[in-house]
Amino acid sequence: MFEKIKKNTELMWEYRELLWNLAHREISQRYKQSVLGYAWVIINPLIQMIVVSFVFSTILRIPSLGVPYIIFLSVALLPWNLFVSSLSSSAGVLVNNSSLITKIYFPREILVYATIIAKIVDFLYSCIVLVMFLIIYKISIHSSIMWVPLIFLIQMIFTIGLSLIAATFNLFYRDIQYVLNLILMLWMYLTPVMYPVEILPEKYRFVFSLNPMSVIVNAYRQVILGGGPPNLQSLSIALVMSLAIFVVGFYFFKRMEGKFADYV
Amino acid sequence: MNTIIAFENVSKTYNLQKQKTFKEFLPALVTRKETKTKLVALSQINFELEKGSSLAIMGRNGSGKSTILKLVAGVTKPNDGRVTVNGRVAPLIELGAGFHPELTGRENVYLNGSILGIKRKQMDKLYKGIVEFAELSDFMDEPIKHYSSGMYMRLAFAVAVAETPDILLVDEILAVGDTKFQQKCLARIKDFKKFGSTIIMVSHSFEQMRQNCQQGLVLTEGKKVFLGEINKALGAYQKLLD
Repeated sequence: MFEKIKKNTELMWEYRELLWNLAHREISQRYKQSVLGYAWVIINPLIQMIVVSFVFSTILRIPSLGVPYIIFLSVALLPWNLFVSSLSSSAGVLVNNSSLITKIYFPREILVYATIIAKIVDFLYSCIVLVMFLIIYKISIHSSIMWVPLIFLIQMIFTIGLSLIAATFNLFYRDIQYVLNLILMLWMYLTPVMYPVEILPEKYRFVFSLNPMSVIVNAYRQVILGGGPPNLQSLSIALVMSLAIFVVGFYFFKRMEGKFADYV
Repeated sequence: MNTIIAFENVSKTYNLQKQKTFKEFLPALVTRKETKTKLVALSQINFELEKGSSLAIMGRNGSGKSTILKLVAGVTKPNDGRVTVNGRVAPLIELGAGFHPELTGRENVYLNGSILGIKRKQMDKLYKGIVEFAELSDFMDEPIKHYSSGMYMRLAFAVAVAETPDILLVDEILAVGDTKFQQKCLARIKDFKKFGSTIIMVSHSFEQMRQNCQQGLVLTEGKKVFLGEINKALGAYQKLLD
């Protein structure tokens, strides 16, 4: 197994220029089209957050662990948006590039990776919103923020694994992406993005630890706003689950890869 | 001898899905309707090509011509038999497959180059030649959505033929573009032959096939009808059409 993944890593290194060029294509195609360009990646989440925080904080009065609700929300919502956009655009990426897939050989997972890289770039821009709020509300940051890269890595492993699966399924059945969008919407409500886990009685909270996204979202909150290390036990479970999903997704993708050109 | 492409008993069957969507697939599964149809694209094909040779593949639509090109390009695998390809394949199939309208000509050249496996450094060297060949030096910083279809075609062809490939696949693309540019393309293909490239061509034009290929392979419904000298092959194909 390690042999295969090692081989694939070498292959990716060989194709790094293609990976970068495809990611660059994804990024620039969006920003060249509209006058507002880069501003959209900031305006979109900003408006989304204002609306959500009006509904959940002002009307429903959801508690937010002693920080302004909008900050409580954005720490979780921005990574969640990255997860959703990566997954839903990966689902369509093979079909959208069918003209390449049927003509030229290259490792197909590059298309999925390039999409995700483009979404990470969007994510980084959208984080400006969070930084802005942190400054406005004068929230101080602790050294525990050093955990963020690790949490992000786990999120990426999980995202890539699921994206590979979604991309493959959608190639065979074109409407999987609509089913996926529905699932993602439900998934968001099952993940403590807009509310704290504490809203649920203690004895039911274990269900959150079965959902890697909820562990990840909680960990971000803990290290950015809570000022302490994340819950390492649930984070390890999330890591193991993410790795498992990645391995399954990767093998599934590679197994079906030879058939892509015949079905797309 | 220097065998560069070998097909040994190659068969290819497509399992075509009847249901393209999950919504259609689920009811079909429950009611036990057929979900797949089999389509034999190639059966028991044998041939070998030596380095520097050129082959024209002819046959009616759906006779398996494009499937052979796909197998050589490595985008699909045979169900049975073995395909051996030794060398870099440059597919001249559907030009500009990787082009993106929002990017400039220059960006598209680099993007398409990397899809074809040309490294950036190598591309820096080839770039000038590509622009010259495409005759587009004034337009390289324009997004290619502003290009005319002829300009688009020229740029795509120029990228595809920028580097001498071991194997060149040509799929009816020479039907587009003005006559002058067509001549230029054919001349470039002739140059490749001089440098030792192997060429596989799919075309409906007898004239092009006669001019560019030494050998011909005639297919009907995925089976080999004739393989041999080009004029005899064209004769066999003519008989098939009549």
